[in-house]
Amino acid sequence: MRFISFKTIPVFLLMIFTGAGGLHAQSAVDLRINEFLVYNDSNYVDDFGEHSPWIEIFNTAFNTVDIGGLYLTDDLSVPAKYKIAAGQPVTRIPPRSYVVFWADNMPTRGILHLNFSLREGKTIALFDVNGRTLIDSVSIPRTVLRNVTYGRIADGGSAWSNLEKSTPNANNDTSDKVTSGELFMQMDPSGLGMTVIAMSIVFVALALLFLFFKYLVKVIGIDVKKQRQSRAKIRAKTGTQTWAGGDDTAGLELSGELNAAIAMTLYLYSVELHDTENAILTINKVSRTYSPWSSKIYGLNRLPK
Amino acid sequence: MENSGFYHFVVDHVSQFLSYTAFANLTVGHVVMIGVGLLFIYLAIAKGFEPMLLVPIGFGILVGNIAFAPGYEIGIYEHGSVMNFLYFGVRYGVYPPLIFLGIGAMTDFSALISNPKLILVGAAAQLGIFGAYCLALALGFSPTEAGSIGIIGGADGPTAIFLTSKLAPDLLGAIAVSAYSYMALVPVIQPPIMRLLTTKKERLIRMKPARVVSKKEKIIFAIAGMILTTAIVPSAIPLLGMLFFGNLLKESGVTKRLADTAKGPMIDIVTILIGLTVGASTQATTFLTVKSVGIFVLGALSFAIATIGGVMFVKIFNLFLKEGNKINPLIGNAGVSAVPHSARVSQVVGLQYDKTNHLLMHAMGPNVAGVIGSAVAAGILLSFLA
Repeated sequence: MRFISFKTIPVFLLMIFTGAGGLHAQSAVDLRINEFLVYNDSNYVDDFGEHSPWIEIFNTAFNTVDIGGLYLTDDLSVPAKYKIAAGQPVTRIPPRSYVVFWADNMPTRGILHLNFSLREGKTIALFDVNGRTLIDSVSIPRTVLRNVTYGRIADGGSAWSNLEKSTPNANNDTSDKVTSGELFMQMDPSGLGMTVIAMSIVFVALALLFLFFKYLVKVIGIDVKKQRQSRAKIRAKTGTQTWAGGDDTAGLELSGELNAAIAMTLYLYSVELHDTENAILTINKVSRTYSPWSSKIYGLNRLPK
Repeated sequence: MENSGFYHFVVDHVSQFLSYTAFANLTVGHVVMIGVGLLFIYLAIAKGFEPMLLVPIGFGILVGNIAFAPGYEIGIYEHGSVMNFLYFGVRYGVYPPLIFLGIGAMTDFSALISNPKLILVGAAAQLGIFGAYCLALALGFSPTEAGSIGIIGGADGPTAIFLTSKLAPDLLGAIAVSAYSYMALVPVIQPPIMRLLTTKKERLIRMKPARVVSKKEKIIFAIAGMILTTAIVPSAIPLLGMLFFGNLLKESGVTKRLADTAKGPMIDIVTILIGLTVGASTQATTFLTVKSVGIFVLGALSFAIATIGGVMFVKIFNLFLKEGNKINPLIGNAGVSAVPHSARVSQVVGLQYDKTNHLLMHAMGPNVAGVIGSAVAAGILLSFLA
């Protein structure tokens, strides 16, 4: 018995191809070093109540990403400097969320405490589970301000700056945001703009379908006229009458009257079928073979002795 | 003394029990809503108005408006209650795509494929959505609320629930009940508008019968339809993806069992759940507000505008069509996606003027295009306002 036919090979190849990404790590490429603080005198405190340098990692994806098993380092020549513990709830970063590591060189204090500290000129880097593939890195500027974090202006964005506010475990962009709904309200208070734009898009989407199917018959080789003519020819050969209108091109076109007439005929025929039923009742004797399963002898109404 | 203590004990507990009953917690709002629920059930059973929708919704309204003391995980909005678990599918938009799967599995797109220009009628009728959006903004609703109210004009309950669950979940009960109520009232709302906007000559237009559509075309439609529409509006993927997937199950001919399940038991189960929970979500305490009244008024207007949009588009379109290819404007109303009620309205009104002019199959074209159009419109609103 063959378990894999030749037809299934392309399917397996496709599965291997699409599943290849899984070898990389579960969406680890979506992680970004988002913000860090080198000199912490009066900023965020750790779980030991101490002010320590910290690094924030941001999950840019819309699914949970497990950072466990990946490597953090401050030296690109030593990528596997600190292996993040795997299988821990705290290393599972929810969608569009954060995790903060303490760069206090105190790894015995917990899995979020790194075995290095931060200094100007160093490079913070995040490596994949294989310890070779670089996911993200950032060089610490030569001049960093005390108690002022350096981070991406927008979470996961490419531009970096000293941030106005320290935002560990929070969005780096602290400016007031206008929702797209509010923006529409400001720019288009009557809703006319929305109507014009949206109706245009609806029309474009459905017009695409219209054009596609208008020309589809030609693309896939269906000639409607030829189809009609050939059916008319078949009818002529078999001696069936042409339809109302009589011409060949109207081959498949049934008039409303004809449709109604056919429907009425069928209906009357079905009604007629039941009108002349005879009233002879035939009674046949049915012989039943004996079975102990249906025997009354073994019925439940028989009282136990 | 001991007897007196026991007496007080019994009285206290009986009065405590009585304070938990619906009679003790009943308000005028609950009575009004129970009346509405009974009306829905009456309309469904006695008048035959959309019984598949109005019976579950009507009974759901009764269930949701039995007054109770809060805090015992009973109400649909109370975290941990059974009704709250069932409501999850509405609140997070799970049920509507499943309903669309069933709709896809039971829809025959032949009328649309054989006469593709009818697709555009389905687009024009979406004017009701955006007309109601403008009116809602003028009445002081926020843009997200206005978008959710506007979608009632799409005449598509699942789409309305899906979009409202994302944009304005607080209005879910009012919008869902409004959408389903007006869908049931399509035969009442649309005919006067259709008569008003058309001349007798236009109502007598005979359309060419649809050609035979091959299986190959139907399969291509399911696949190409999904790709073309969702590529433009990806936010409509949950609805349109499921709609066309259901249609492929039907048209492929090799997945009959799956198609039968999608259009049979599955859509029935989801309809029961969505109807009951939407009905139960109309608790008087959250439902009877001035906003709800506004939603109902705007809902009716959105249906009217949608009908006007569809009929007027056909009239304008006819100016560019050759004699013999013209479209009867009485099928313009079918551009709203209340399948097949609005197509049935076209047929009934058409027959009133010519007893041999059957418009039903022609009207099914814009009708199913309306399903696609309203899902696209919902996707646009979602991407603009969310």
